[in-house]
Amino acid sequence: MSLLRGVLGMELIGISVKLFLNFQEKLVLLDSALILDVPLGVISRIEKMGGATSRGENSYGLDITCKDMRNLRFALKQEGHSRRDMFEILTRYAFPLAHSLPIFAFLNEEKFNVDGWMVYNPVEEYRRQGLPNHHWRITFINKFYELCDTYPALLVVPYRASDDDLRRVATFRSRNRIPVLSWIHPENKTVIVRCSQPLVGMSGKRNKDDEKYLDIIRETNKQISKLTIYDARPNVNAVANKATGGGYESDDAYHNAELFFLDIHNIHVMRESLKKVKDIVYPNVEESHWLSSLESTHWLEHIKLVLTGAIQVADRVSSGKSSVLVHCSDGWDRTAQLTSLAMLMLDSFYRSIEGFEILVQKEWISFGHKFASRIGHGDKNHADADRSPIFLQFIDCVWQMSKQFPTAFEFNERFLITILDHLYSCRFGTFLYNCESARERQKVTERTVSLWSLINSNKDKFKNPFYTKEINRVLYPVASMRHLELWVNYYIRWNPRIKQQQPNPVEQRYVELLALRDEYIKRLEELQLANSAKLSDPSTSPSSPSQMMPHVQTHF
Amino acid sequence: MEFSELIRTGRAQAELLRGPEAPPLRGTLCVTGHHLLLSPGPQATSDLWLLLLRSVDSIEKRVAGDSGTITLRCKDLRVLQLDIEGVEATLDIARSIEALSSLESVITSFPFFYRPKGLRLGDAWHFHPPEHYYKRVARETNAWRLSEVNEDFSVCPSYPRAVIVPRAVDDDALKRSARFRQGGRFPVLSYHHAPSGTVLLRSSQPLTGPQKRRCAEDEEMLRAVLAGARPGARGFIVDTRSSQTAKQARMTGGGTEAKAAYPGWKRLHRPLERGRPLQESFVRLVEACGDLEQSMDRWLSRLEGCRWLAHVKEALSTACLAAQGMEREGACILVHGAEGTDSTLLVTSLAQLILDPLSRTMAGFQELVEREWIQAGHPFQLRCAHSAFSHARPKHEAPTFLLFLDCVWQLGRQFPLSLEFGEGLLLALFEHAYASPFGTFLCNSEKERCLCEVRTRTHSLWSGLNQPKEQRKVRNPLYVLNPLAIWPSVEPQSLRLWQGLFLRWTRPPEPSEVAWEKVWQIVTDKEKTEGSQPTVSAPEPQS
Repeated sequence: MSLLRGVLGMELIGISVKLFLNFQEKLVLLDSALILDVPLGVISRIEKMGGATSRGENSYGLDITCKDMRNLRFALKQEGHSRRDMFEILTRYAFPLAHSLPIFAFLNEEKFNVDGWMVYNPVEEYRRQGLPNHHWRITFINKFYELCDTYPALLVVPYRASDDDLRRVATFRSRNRIPVLSWIHPENKTVIVRCSQPLVGMSGKRNKDDEKYLDIIRETNKQISKLTIYDARPNVNAVANKATGGGYESDDAYHNAELFFLDIHNIHVMRESLKKVKDIVYPNVEESHWLSSLESTHWLEHIKLVLTGAIQVADRVSSGKSSVLVHCSDGWDRTAQLTSLAMLMLDSFYRSIEGFEILVQKEWISFGHKFASRIGHGDKNHADADRSPIFLQFIDCVWQMSKQFPTAFEFNERFLITILDHLYSCRFGTFLYNCESARERQKVTERTVSLWSLINSNKDKFKNPFYTKEINRVLYPVASMRHLELWVNYYIRWNPRIKQQQPNPVEQRYVELLALRDEYIKRLEELQLANSAKLSDPSTSPSSPSQMMPHVQTHF
Repeated sequence: MEFSELIRTGRAQAELLRGPEAPPLRGTLCVTGHHLLLSPGPQATSDLWLLLLRSVDSIEKRVAGDSGTITLRCKDLRVLQLDIEGVEATLDIARSIEALSSLESVITSFPFFYRPKGLRLGDAWHFHPPEHYYKRVARETNAWRLSEVNEDFSVCPSYPRAVIVPRAVDDDALKRSARFRQGGRFPVLSYHHAPSGTVLLRSSQPLTGPQKRRCAEDEEMLRAVLAGARPGARGFIVDTRSSQTAKQARMTGGGTEAKAAYPGWKRLHRPLERGRPLQESFVRLVEACGDLEQSMDRWLSRLEGCRWLAHVKEALSTACLAAQGMEREGACILVHGAEGTDSTLLVTSLAQLILDPLSRTMAGFQELVEREWIQAGHPFQLRCAHSAFSHARPKHEAPTFLLFLDCVWQLGRQFPLSLEFGEGLLLALFEHAYASPFGTFLCNSEKERCLCEVRTRTHSLWSGLNQPKEQRKVRNPLYVLNPLAIWPSVEPQSLRLWQGLFLRWTRPPEPSEVAWEKVWQIVTDKEKTEGSQPTVSAPEPQS
């Protein structure tokens, strides 16, 4: 079926090459000097430039705006309506939703020897965290997404709260997104709980059930007198939300909680900020005042605020000071950023390749980050105000952490970039739709391939050779502007001058070293066997086992 | 002179604060002729804390009640705080430190007293004499010869004894050319690029003056350079001043090569900042990096406002220009500014790193620093008298050498496998250039070093650095020989603040050190597997 999408041959001015849509739904342009390979999913907007009367070089053709920080311009010949055909075909397949066509992931027939859909199993993940326990239980109240249609089917809630309690709390939380457990500290048992804003409104409504519910959460740790609430928004925004029925937990109503605002701005601010980043890096890099231009985008400042917020959440929990409740307005953008980053700082499991996949699958995909709306998969409405690079911003924060802790993550930069590329590509089902209930209706796991199938069947490519597995180490990145950098290898990767700076040779060298290291370990084992035979004289050679052992123990 | 006259008080009880990352240290504080010691008490002698007084850049004292506080800002950009019991003791210690840290006499400085275990005096001074390199070039080319015209430093006081000049030019002509160049710095060979057969030269400005004087021997020399390269070869003169500044220099006796007088040579102006503006840029940057109160929202524009990265960019792009001229255009290059002891050396040494794989080895880089900076007469004593914290009005201070190290760091960041040495070596060179127990960076020229008998009476930094125990700090474990030229990207987004230097004392060092250790571990494991010992120092490239 996908082959029917056909090959679109066309000639570009200057270079006579074929540009075609192949069966992988990519725009591929082959020339001896240039290979262009663009998944159609990445296209955000297609415009015709120039008209019949256009003269001059490259003034007639198509302009394609992409979601991944680049624009493409095809200069075409004016004869023979080639542009009209190309425009129509491209529009059709880049924006299938507007033409009642399926998204490519549903047509993709790739096969992998690993099934990425098996990576995340919520029961297993909660069991890994030691749940359920005396204080927390797993509930199936949302099995049919009746309590909250944007939450996953399986939730972890306080043992002492009944399902009826949950239903009453849901009425007081925006879109019924009640406080549920995201993560529990293995030793001090403090927790990270996520939800949406309370529906306080202009009149300052209160809800006894919600108040009691938060107190039950606090009481899961007997010795702690206060529950900490982090409202991700700036204070003024939280107040302004009252006008539309939202708000925040007031001191009067919630005696045993203290609330802090984290000053992180909303999706619109982030979208505009990234747009400014694109303006200074594409097509040409702003050279004369690079740093102050970069500053004026405020992108790194937003990164700093998100990281700072996550650090505060992580610190509260790891120090055992109190349990933490995180929300913003709806609890699916900033909240997901904060909980997932804090979990990444606290729990070394999430720093492995599969652990990170589980983290994304859990905190982002299952808890209803609206990927379809934020990315606009297959949708032609490029100016949609719902679009926003929230997930990209999260990945950027992860990259900043991996820069500061070069040995703490099992995955490398390519892993993060691959995730971002397929966030847009529509080749996999992983990021499609806004929530679990929609994905279930569309039978995504049956009808599409998971991105993790691609990655996990070729893991070596995505491994950081310097990874040192550490249990229980909490990572606190330095979230000061001095230590944050623009992620040049992602944001400016299309610039040919930057391209040669990509760290391919380093990776090559790392891989070489890794192979040699494995060989070394093998030989060492042989040596130890030989040495154990002559235990009487341990000091004969510099490679005596006592000296070598530490290397073995700290290996991957 | 007796140091004891300058020491007002022997000892006092004090607490030392070393920044946010290190725990405070309590004990007996003691000033000696060259050091500040803090002995934490009889039970823990191994934790004796020691600071070379020479590395104190500025000192600030405050007394309150019956105790005082001394803040020491060091040349390596560390900030230390000493809380001292007793007002009198505080003031005395402060005065002692002030007096001892600003001693100008070279021969009473610490390197003349430093006698570390395991090193022998006189060792390693023979490691990197420029003669080795010059002899090799003379052997390889036939067009060049070693000259001893400056044997007694009379022709050019800032040049070393041995220089390399075109074979066709005799010593008398050199002397006359020297009289036509500021400070006697006549054009000499800096680097021979064998693949293209071209050479890199350096000198000072010609003394054309307002009358536009000429010098036949000087012109003949540059003609001989082109003739020695190949028939019809061209040359570029890279003047590190703007054409306006170069013209103005005529009024004070300097100037620039007239086009008509030097056929085949074309002049290019690439203004590089030097002297006071460069020092001020450094001071502003260090101030910004140390200003922890400042609202971080303005960090990037403040960083830009310091202009330090702009200087890095200019230095690298001028070096690229010189290197490109040789490699791509097959032209000879002469680099000079005014005195030819600062930005000139910056450009010639960086151009060599870009082109020459040997200069990127551990031994080759040390040789480069020795030949192109120390022997070439960069006035280290004047330029590095003070670092970024001194309140005194800068006289001759300028961080030209630090700018060079920063550019090398940028090269290393962009080509992580191509340099045999790591950030540790660059940090060590920065520290030792400003204050060191070794004699390598003492004085302003080879002539002065000979007068002070530096070679026989002090230890060389190179022997200190090449000890096996230092190797993990200074070598790059990922190094693989890269035979190609390494062309750096000088786009502003490719250049970074050198955090390892400028934020060294304010960031937690741990993660990057862990990573470094990890890389080392992998590499040494590999070497053990192969059954070979880690190479302590690569064989000298010269012989």
